[in-house]
Amino acid sequence: MRVVTAAAALSLALVAAYLALGGASYAPAKVADPCASRDWRNPDGLSEVAEQIVLSALDGAACELQASREEVVLAFDSRDELERFAREHGIDDEELEELVRSGLLRAIADAERADALSMELADRLRGVVRSIPVRSLLGLLPALERIIPS
Amino acid sequence: MPERTRIALLGLSVGIVLADSSVVTIALPEILAQYDVEIQTLAWALTSFNLALALAALPAAFVARRRPRLVFAAGAVVFAAASLTCAFAPSFGVLVGARTVQGVAGAAVVCAALGLLAAAMGADAPAARIWAFAGILGAACGPAAGGILTQLFGWESIFVVQAPLLLLTLAALPGVRYTPTLRPLERPHLGANAALLLVSGALVAALFLLVILLINGWRLEPLAAGAVVTVMPISAILAARFAGAIRPLWTRAASGVILISGGLAALGWLPDAGAGWTVPPQLAIGAGLGLALSALTERALAGRASQVVHGGWTLAARHAGVVLGLLLLTPIFTADLERNGDEALAAGTAYVLDSRIPPLVKLGVAREILAAVDDAEAEARVPDVGQIVTERSEAPAYTELAGSLQDQLDRAATNAFSRSFLAAALLGLAALVPILLDRRDVSL
Repeated sequence: MRVVTAAAALSLALVAAYLALGGASYAPAKVADPCASRDWRNPDGLSEVAEQIVLSALDGAACELQASREEVVLAFDSRDELERFAREHGIDDEELEELVRSGLLRAIADAERADALSMELADRLRGVVRSIPVRSLLGLLPALERIIPS
Repeated sequence: MPERTRIALLGLSVGIVLADSSVVTIALPEILAQYDVEIQTLAWALTSFNLALALAALPAAFVARRRPRLVFAAGAVVFAAASLTCAFAPSFGVLVGARTVQGVAGAAVVCAALGLLAAAMGADAPAARIWAFAGILGAACGPAAGGILTQLFGWESIFVVQAPLLLLTLAALPGVRYTPTLRPLERPHLGANAALLLVSGALVAALFLLVILLINGWRLEPLAAGAVVTVMPISAILAARFAGAIRPLWTRAASGVILISGGLAALGWLPDAGAGWTVPPQLAIGAGLGLALSALTERALAGRASQVVHGGWTLAARHAGVVLGLLLLTPIFTADLERNGDEALAAGTAYVLDSRIPPLVKLGVAREILAAVDDAEAEARVPDVGQIVTERSEAPAYTELAGSLQDQLDRAATNAFSRSFLAAALLGLAALVPILLDRRDVSL
């Protein structure tokens, strides 16, 4: 019986040590709640202002859809992904675009209020967001990466 | 031929065949790349062998009981031919077919070897111990041997090496005097065989899933993974060396099962990614394997008139357990892999979006990562996303992002195996039920 007791003690000690070292929580990080407010960073340039506007807009759309901001971003990776995401959330992809668009407009207004954007630039951005499909807007960004040196 | 050499050769034949149960695990990514099959289909390279061995063990034992030399010789020749067919299989279907033939022929070799060992040693009990030990050693060494051969010479070499080695063991046959004992057969020992089935099912996680975690999850080379999993056979050998001193048998079996389950639970709760973290659980599992399998096999054979047939029962139970383990754990593992992959992708996207690298670069990085994830999914491996980021720049913002992404992938890969290891630990603990029910048996 002593051998059985020793084996049980050894096994329990091993498992307890691994749990104490964080074994039960070693998993991918949970993504942030899109409905919670995020801190605005001090932007270094126009592209960072634009980035924060886009991220804020994605948060807004994700919050509306009870999804994560990251899911919304990944949905725009391809047409198929977008359709799959829209299907899962019971909307069509046009409604999803409209959600992101209204989020963008809200975020531009927020940035304008925080003096991160001038009124003139904010108006121009609003014009672009209203007139170009969101997918095309996101599609333009990789082209910008090639044009604007990082 | 000296008796010791004959016994060593017969033991070697058992080890070679039973190593085949897990020997190709490390080679699975290479086999996948060569034959371009679905990942679910790939599992048949393992399942076919174990299923065939489980089904053929008992019929093979009945024949081997009367004509062990003939059965051993025929089994070894067919096994060698099937091994060479595996090595040069033109399609995955041929590979699975040849693995099935290996399973049937392997059952013949292992069952006949038990009868021949008893004849060579002149007694049943020591023959059963050698037979059980060779089987434990073979099963435990399989992943390590497979890893080393795959890295050095390619996965085909696993099968090329087996064929001449097994044919070499035919040298043990001349001079063996075997007298069939055809006394009425007793019922198989239900408790010991049921426990063997459950323990073998649990060991699937250690002998198969751990190897997949090391290679596909943590991106170790087959040689390195092979070296890591040598801990288990070393521990099993050491434990088996002292196993004889632990009596009664049920305490040895119960201790082994508890150690296996403890080790598997620790693998289910790994605190970090890294081969070093697998060493203490492997030591526990190896020791448990050496204790439990030897005790349960000895128990199943003890006092049985026709040892070969009861050896066939243990073989059938063990490999049915392997098939059970594969059937139970594979769906858990594949579902968790998908879930963790999605979570890692979302977490990685969050890190990219929130990183300090220039906004427009983020888009390029994100696109490249998504493409790498797609490629890696097709090849059943984890992508090296850290490299994608650091190739752009080695500035602190990039290396920090690369580190975070790699950490998320390591977490996802490790966590994907967690529930499977824990389920295997429960399966192992379930083996305590038949062991404890059996403990009142005075012969134990």
